[in-house]
Order: sequence, then C-alpha cells, then structure tokens
Amino acid sequence: MFEELLEDIAQENGLREINTYLKLCTGIGAIILCLASSGFVPPLFIAVILSAAIIILARVPPATYAELFILPAGFAVMSVAGIILITGGQNVLWHWDVFPGLAFSITKESINEGFFVFCRVMGGMSALCFISLTTPMTDIFTAFRQCRVPEPVIDLMMIIYRTIFILMDQVVQVYQAQVMRLGYSAYRESIQSFATLCGAAFIASWDAGDDLIHAMDARCYDGRFALLGENRPVELVPCLAAAVFLAASAGIVICAGRFSLLQV
Amino acid sequence: MHIMEGFLPLQWCLVWWIVALPCVIFGIYQLKKILAADREALPLLGVTGGFIFILSSLKLPSVTGSCSHPTGTGLSTISFGPWITAVVCSIVLLFQSLFLAHGGLSVLGANIVSMGIIGPLAGYAIYRVLRDTRADIFLTVFLATAVADMVTYVTTSLQLALAYPAETGGFAGSFILFLGIFAVTQVPLAIVEGIVLALVFKYIIALKPDILIRLKVFSEERILKARGEME
Repeated sequence: MFEELLEDIAQENGLREINTYLKLCTGIGAIILCLASSGFVPPLFIAVILSAAIIILARVPPATYAELFILPAGFAVMSVAGIILITGGQNVLWHWDVFPGLAFSITKESINEGFFVFCRVMGGMSALCFISLTTPMTDIFTAFRQCRVPEPVIDLMMIIYRTIFILMDQVVQVYQAQVMRLGYSAYRESIQSFATLCGAAFIASWDAGDDLIHAMDARCYDGRFALLGENRPVELVPCLAAAVFLAASAGIVICAGRFSLLQV
Repeated sequence: MHIMEGFLPLQWCLVWWIVALPCVIFGIYQLKKILAADREALPLLGVTGGFIFILSSLKLPSVTGSCSHPTGTGLSTISFGPWITAVVCSIVLLFQSLFLAHGGLSVLGANIVSMGIIGPLAGYAIYRVLRDTRADIFLTVFLATAVADMVTYVTTSLQLALAYPAETGGFAGSFILFLGIFAVTQVPLAIVEGIVLALVFKYIIALKPDILIRLKVFSEERILKARGEME
C-alpha cells in the first residue's frame, strides 16, 4: 500500500521544473470548472486532457496512472449506482418500494445524474492527480510559506511529512518480522500484532522525533525551519498552454455544460 | 470515509469549507499557544499526525462515494484535545489527497468536518466524562476511540444525504440508507480500532509511561497504578 507514494513519482516527473503556482492554478482551476459544470462534457474533457498531460508531458507510466484510478473508479461506480437508485425522476424505467418511506427506482433523469457525477469524479480526480504527480510536497511547502500560511502550521506539516516516512519504515520492518513469526495467522493474533505494531511504531517515531528536535537544537534551531525551496520562473509556453486549457474548459462549461447522456 | 474529489456539488463543498475554517483557525491559535509553552510538543504532534496518516490510509470500499477505514483520531484528541486535532487532521487529509489520492481538495472541508472536528469532539467528550471517574483507563480509551470513529461516519452519512437526498423519504431516507451501508463495515471497524488503540495505550504504559504523564492524559497515579496491575 505504501510502496509507492505519489510523492516519489512527483520528484522525477517531466513537469518538475515548471513553476509551482502555474501547476497549482491549472489543477485547482480544473477542479473548480468540474464543480461549476452542470453537464458531463466539461469534466470528461478535463479528465482526458489532464490524463494526457500526466502521461505524455509528465511521463508518468500509463500503468501506474491507471492503477491510481482503479480504486476511485470502483468507488465512483458504486456511488453512482447508489445515486441512480435514490435520485428518482419522471421517466421511470424500474421501481421498487423497499419499505414505507424508502423506494429505489431507475429513471432516465437518475441515469443522467449518476453519469454526470461519475464524470465529475473522474475530472476532479485527474486534476488532483495532476497536482500530486507533478508537484512535490517540498515545492508546496515553499508555496505555502510564500502565501503566508502561519509558521507553526508549516513546521507541523514538515514534521508530519518527515514522520510519515519514519513511521512507514518502522511499520514495514515490524510487520515483516511479525509475519515471519506467524503474527497474523489467526484473527485474535492479528489484532494483538497490529496493536503491537502501532505501539512500537509510535514509540520509535516519538524517539526519532525527539532526536530530531535535539539535533536541531544543537544547530541553533529557533522555532522556524529553514526552507531552501526556490520557485522556478514562469515560462511563456507552459503559461500559454495552461491558459488555453483553462479557457477551453471554461468555454465548454458555458456552451456544452447542460448536455446530458439520455434525452429526457 | 474520505469523500472523494468531485463527489460533492460546489455549494456543499463551500458550506463545509465555511464550517471547517473557523475551527481550524481556532486550532492554529491553540497550537501556537502550546508550542510557545512547550516546543518539545512538536515531535509528538508530528508523530500523532503520521500515526493518523498511516491508520486512515487503510481503506475498504463502501457503496456511498466514500470509503471505510480506521480514523486514528482518538489518540490525538485524547492527547491534545479536539481543536489541535482539527489542525493535525487537516494536514493529514491534505497529505493523503496529495500522496495517495484519497479524498480531495474541494471536499477537504467536508472531510475535515467529519474526521477532524465532529468525530474527535465526540471522542473527547467521552474521554472528559470518564477521565476523572473510576472507569478503567483502557475502557476510556476504547470508548473515546470507538465513538470518535462512529460519529465520524454518522457525519459523513449526513454530508452525503444532504448533498443527495432521496426522492422518496428526502434527506431522512437518504441518511438512513447511507448510514445503513456504512454500518456494515464501520461498526466492526470502530470496535476493532477501539481495541487496537486500547492495546497501543497498554503497550505505551508498559514501555514508556512518561509520554502519557508528560501530556497529562491521565493522572500519574492512575498510569502508574495501571502499570502496576499489568506487572
């Protein structure tokens, strides 16, 4: 599960050198346009373009990207099924009264609504993945500091960021040792092993965190982490590409925002 | 429980952001106070954040546009209170959306409200009620954690029902449906999480009780007594 964080891919992606704000504006702009749309075409357009950008420009392996989408797509399909059953509408295709006060039905309107939500999730997820896969967390910390996010919050973010990696190492090591000693062979033992795993990881990380603070104190830490992040300049071509993409998406939201899958 | 990116309509994303922001800002104010008084609290907050990240990354599919997993917020709310937990959770949820594509940015407000505010508040209430009674330490931890987990899911069901009310039964029908679907995975998970965190506390009390004494989670006398009973 933790073998490959998106962060690892982001550190080596093809758009690594593009200005952080430009990438964040593109991703967040795409999310807002997906949400502002009232039809399925704009989110689908955004999903296709951003997925192409991730695979072709950021050079993320298609298999890795597809793997990222399997779980959200599975959730989206199940969620859409739920929405289709409860939304209702005029053109009823199937109906079932479960009990007084709750009925399931499939209508043309509910299919349209379900398909729209599915496309919106796909559009939103591709925009989120665009940010995750092209912008390393260290660049985002720099952007936060420049945007005047309070210092304690940035410090806490960096400590949590560091701790996640310490914890993951601890968890993997202890877990492998437990598996080798049949720690997960029965349900009761699994609970006991999992609790020991969490406790051991917690104590070891606490010690690592303490050591970190002491080491930093020894180097004159004054309550503010030095952050050497440097933002790249905004270049003309990426800026134009982002502007054209966002303008085209906005145009589609205005012109084709109300198209639905089935004619009602 | 993390609602995924794009699942909530724009107006509900804004509503939950508006609800979450004042609580997070108050949490930041409290965080500043704690760090000014004891700078060494920073590594513990970091550890807690990492712990929540790892626990709440274990997810199971659910049929409601969301997913089920342990929340891990019980430890933070008992150790630091609900407002700082809101800040820690906000950071963890942001990291999860950027590291693992769990949750999302537009729905971050909604996820903060359920997992970072309402759930921990409920868990903290249980902890405060039981802390100064004769109730067993581990039972208190179990109940606070399990309740924080359950209330988080009730809040997520509420958020989903508000966004997608059923045609028959309206908000209430949809709420019952979402709640019913979550209950299948979440009731056992909340119980397991409560047991796991109580065992984690047992482990910490056995090996490093000074952590809990320093945080004033329980009185020194009760922690040493619990340790004595274990030996």
